[in-house]
Amino acid sequence: MMARGLGGFALVFAVLAALAVWREDLGLPIFYLVLASTALFWIAQATSWNVLSGYSGYFSFGQGAFVGVGAYTTAVLGGRHGVDFYLTVPVAAVFSALLALLVGALAFRLRSFRGEIFALLTLAVPFILAALARVNSEIDGGQGVIVPVAEYPDWLAQFQDFLYLLNLVVAVAAVAAAFAIQHTRFGWALASIRDAEDVAEGLGVATFRYKMLAIAVTGLIGGAAGSLFALQIGFVTVESVFGLTIPLFVIVMSVLGGRTHWVGPVLGAVVIVLIQDRLSASGFEGWNLIVLGAILAVLVVVAPDGLQARLWRRPWQAAVALVAVTGVLAVVDSWGGPLDWFVAGVLAAVAVVLWPGRARAPVAAERRPAAAPVAPEEAAGAVPVAADAEPGEVLVECRDVAKYFGGVRALDGVSLRIRAGELVGLVGPNGSGKTTLVNLLSGALRPTSGSIAVAGRDIVGLAPHRIAHVGVSRTHQIPKPFESMTVRDNVAMAIMFGRSPRPLAGAREEAEACLDVVHLRHLADAKPAEINLHERQLLEMARAIATKPKVLLLDEALAGLNPAEIDAAVAVVRRIHATGITIVIVEHLLRVVNQLATRVVVLNQGALLADGDPRTVMNDPDVIRAYLGRHAHARGT
Amino acid sequence: MLEVRELEAWYGQAQALWGVDLSVADGEVVSIVGPNGAGKSTLVQSIAGLHRSTRGTIAVDGVDLTRVPAHRVGDHGVALVPEGRRVFARMTVHDNLVLGAYRRSARPGLADGLARVHSLFPRLAERSSQLAGSLSGGEQQMLAIGRALLAQPRLLLMDEPSLGLAPVVVDEVFDAIRAINADGVSVLLVEQDVERALEVSARGYVLAEGRIVASGSSAELTGSALVRRSVLGL
Amino acid sequence: MTTLQAALSGALVGGMFAVMAAGLSLTWGMLRVINLAHFGLILVGAYLTFELATSWGLDPILTIVVTVPLMFLVGAGLQWAFDRLGVEGFASLLVSFGLLIIVMQTVSNVWSADFQRMEGDVNPYATGSVSIGRFVFPAPTLIAFVFAVVIVVAADQVLRRTFAGRALRAFAEDRAVASAFGIDHRRLGMVLAGLSAASAAVAGMLFALGNAVTPSTPFEWIGIVFAVVILGGIGQVGGVLLAGVLVGTLSAVVSATWSPALSPLVLFSAIILALLFRPHGLLTPASRGAR
Repeated sequence: MMARGLGGFALVFAVLAALAVWREDLGLPIFYLVLASTALFWIAQATSWNVLSGYSGYFSFGQGAFVGVGAYTTAVLGGRHGVDFYLTVPVAAVFSALLALLVGALAFRLRSFRGEIFALLTLAVPFILAALARVNSEIDGGQGVIVPVAEYPDWLAQFQDFLYLLNLVVAVAAVAAAFAIQHTRFGWALASIRDAEDVAEGLGVATFRYKMLAIAVTGLIGGAAGSLFALQIGFVTVESVFGLTIPLFVIVMSVLGGRTHWVGPVLGAVVIVLIQDRLSASGFEGWNLIVLGAILAVLVVVAPDGLQARLWRRPWQAAVALVAVTGVLAVVDSWGGPLDWFVAGVLAAVAVVLWPGRARAPVAAERRPAAAPVAPEEAAGAVPVAADAEPGEVLVECRDVAKYFGGVRALDGVSLRIRAGELVGLVGPNGSGKTTLVNLLSGALRPTSGSIAVAGRDIVGLAPHRIAHVGVSRTHQIPKPFESMTVRDNVAMAIMFGRSPRPLAGAREEAEACLDVVHLRHLADAKPAEINLHERQLLEMARAIATKPKVLLLDEALAGLNPAEIDAAVAVVRRIHATGITIVIVEHLLRVVNQLATRVVVLNQGALLADGDPRTVMNDPDVIRAYLGRHAHARGT
Repeated sequence: MLEVRELEAWYGQAQALWGVDLSVADGEVVSIVGPNGAGKSTLVQSIAGLHRSTRGTIAVDGVDLTRVPAHRVGDHGVALVPEGRRVFARMTVHDNLVLGAYRRSARPGLADGLARVHSLFPRLAERSSQLAGSLSGGEQQMLAIGRALLAQPRLLLMDEPSLGLAPVVVDEVFDAIRAINADGVSVLLVEQDVERALEVSARGYVLAEGRIVASGSSAELTGSALVRRSVLGL
Repeated sequence: MTTLQAALSGALVGGMFAVMAAGLSLTWGMLRVINLAHFGLILVGAYLTFELATSWGLDPILTIVVTVPLMFLVGAGLQWAFDRLGVEGFASLLVSFGLLIIVMQTVSNVWSADFQRMEGDVNPYATGSVSIGRFVFPAPTLIAFVFAVVIVVAADQVLRRTFAGRALRAFAEDRAVASAFGIDHRRLGMVLAGLSAASAAVAGMLFALGNAVTPSTPFEWIGIVFAVVILGGIGQVGGVLLAGVLVGTLSAVVSATWSPALSPLVLFSAIILALLFRPHGLLTPASRGAR
């Protein structure tokens, strides 16, 4: 897949490069290459933006910063210090990447910004750089910098051919990089960050590291393309790079094309550049930005997922529309020229692709493959047994753990030991601290005081993904699947980043075994949106066991199920326990806990109220009082 | 006063209530008890109009409220004391109370209502200009109740008023429920403290796994094996 | 001396940024709509003031009699559409970015991309100034500051003392519970968005009074105004005035003592620091950020 894909890029590059080298022999007007150059520049920029903002969902308004650093590096080194152009390109890319890492360190480390706050932070960066450039006369000083024309090889007819080739190199490299990222662990990590960052972290994805890598790649490509931009415009000013035009264009292009696939920004850039060119050529220059703004505003409301995913669903209709409209206009030949006809065809294809179709309904019962019953032993055998802890050995040790929220004491001095092989029911009235305890064990929260050790290792202060690697895994009360991935890939994600990571192909195979344990194999190819709540909760469990945990924390994994579904889920929990995984289950339904648990721990008002086997605990007067009210034990028993 | 028939409720695809029937007569206190996650809060939210994914009827004085938008439900004399209090933390105690009387029909009674709430909970009068977020849990509960009273309800929906409160404070809250009822307000009380709830109410319903599994006078339900079983899961 | 003069003038200029920021901050805080199109409305407000003053001979300040009601309708209509389409939060940032671009380009098509300035014959305030002791203040910035104080104090009092104001604050905190007390968010949201747009009309007038305007001027405002919104605390109208004065003073002092080109550097570094350490505004205790 990867090798073939990259081979494809090499082929595309060779063909497109040939157009420039033999342009005069082919009789291709230079105009087409100039237009293609523009498209390639924007393909590189949109792809650069998309690696961070599309793949990982961190929308940036700061693309101008990377372009600007690239452009100024080339302009200043070449124009003021006489450095050879070819040398300045890698320097520009590296400078831009360093800036990106600085922004990333601020935004991702000090505070975890998302959404509009991250967007605003990145919006401020070009403003700061613009001020620095204006003030510093070594850089710009408010005068602008002239970029010397670079020497180009004599087998190229014109400077424009040369620019086209340079843009082609950078654009193809950028798209190939985006392609490679999408098809490796890196891309999967970014997609999981976009879909549900905290879940990804909990399953073992080092989210901070991957976000830093992504922003560095964005900076690298943005800087290299910015360097070419300097050569192209010949005279770099603060306004030409640090404004809001560049972020506007890359955002519109990526939103139009689709942000989750490497093809998206390419499609978006080509369509936008064509529209802009035809509008200008037809004397509607003043409408360029209005059309751009309208595309953005309408798309976000109507089709926020963009062209790519929809095109994959209707490829033939789009191709027919393109060929038909272009063909008819060419035959009639009463208006415009070949490029106009083609652009009209493209717009027709875009309209066909975006035309609202029937929303995909959840997999209807009759279309669903039936669940093949799997014998429990068989399923248990299929899963690699995780129990590398001896039964009876202390696996989790909480000492005097407390967690305060402001003045509220959610947990206050809880000490608890959980031994390998146990199935512990964690119960208590609302607000007793159960979920807080689960969050502390999984590292989502840090205790105010006290210590927590898992398998002898102190986990306080470890990032959740490190705790996952120590052997703790959890489910969430409200299932949070990775919505963009199939059921199988949700589980494969957990295997790829879990305690014994495997590459994608192997992980997908292994995922089937995990799906067998929860009886979801028949839905392996469905998307999470197409399965019901019960199945989503089973998926949570499958994903959690796929990390090969020593301890599995089930946080109200049965909430909202009907009695039949509860019985099915109980059987699944039993099966998981039978594979040797120690389980802590938080559950409201005491009947379920009593059925399942080998031991019950009761919390009340943040403290441990009772601990022991289910029958004893449920007859404990203190427990009855906590559940029924103050006089219950006096009257009842 | 309140008549709920065949109520079903969903969260997305998850059904939370199955065919719930219940009624509250004028001037009555009725409690709904049951284990956590039984659907008690869903029931209250459905009646208050905050949860709209329902089937069945919810009638107050014969008017069906299931299609009435949430901000119009109060026009029919229903007010809510939500679970977890949910006072407006960044507003003062006074502003929280005044907001209770936001509805046009309730505004003329603002002064009298404030006086009544201050006599019921003198501590709220003392803390009038404090931010609600700075109050203790018990005071916030009183504020939530006071806010609802200023809406001049004929039916008060109370969702877990004892949640997370110290026993002494819970006593105060339950005394207030009696006092409010003595003023002629009907109360539908959802509680996990079964004993206390049944003490203060005339009748009760037991809700478990989204269904009414038992109902009767509070005396009948107190200490009944069925209640025990459904709450403790034994 | 000159530094002090600069600081005081800057503080007054900050008043204008406070007027620009007030509406943005309120719709963001109360309705979760981050409305970049607000800058477009300010721009249109400035151009309408210019147009009405030069072609109709209206006193520039009195143009708000026309522009304020007009903008109110536009703002309320926009909010109606946003509410119907469920545009909120990040989506509203993108949609309104698109709208801003449309407005800016339309203004450029209608009035050309050149500078427009009200000349002295139609703008009696252009050259006026007021001296207090040794300090001289140009009339436009003084007027802007007076408007800022009036608007911010009025908005603050409305939010504090009226039923509608309390309802808005309650709605911003907890939509569900607010609706249980009879608060109709649709209507209230439209009124708020309308008032916010009306304040944009005033801001546009104030800007046109003392400055030349071009269709791309909003790009100069965005950074400073967001700085004011964030430093003031999103949704906190009182904080907006304080932050406006602070930002205005800071940027004027940096310009006077160092270099005008450096003031954005200081300003935007301040925003980044504020985002990192005081994301809920200068007036809000840092501890609220914890939950």
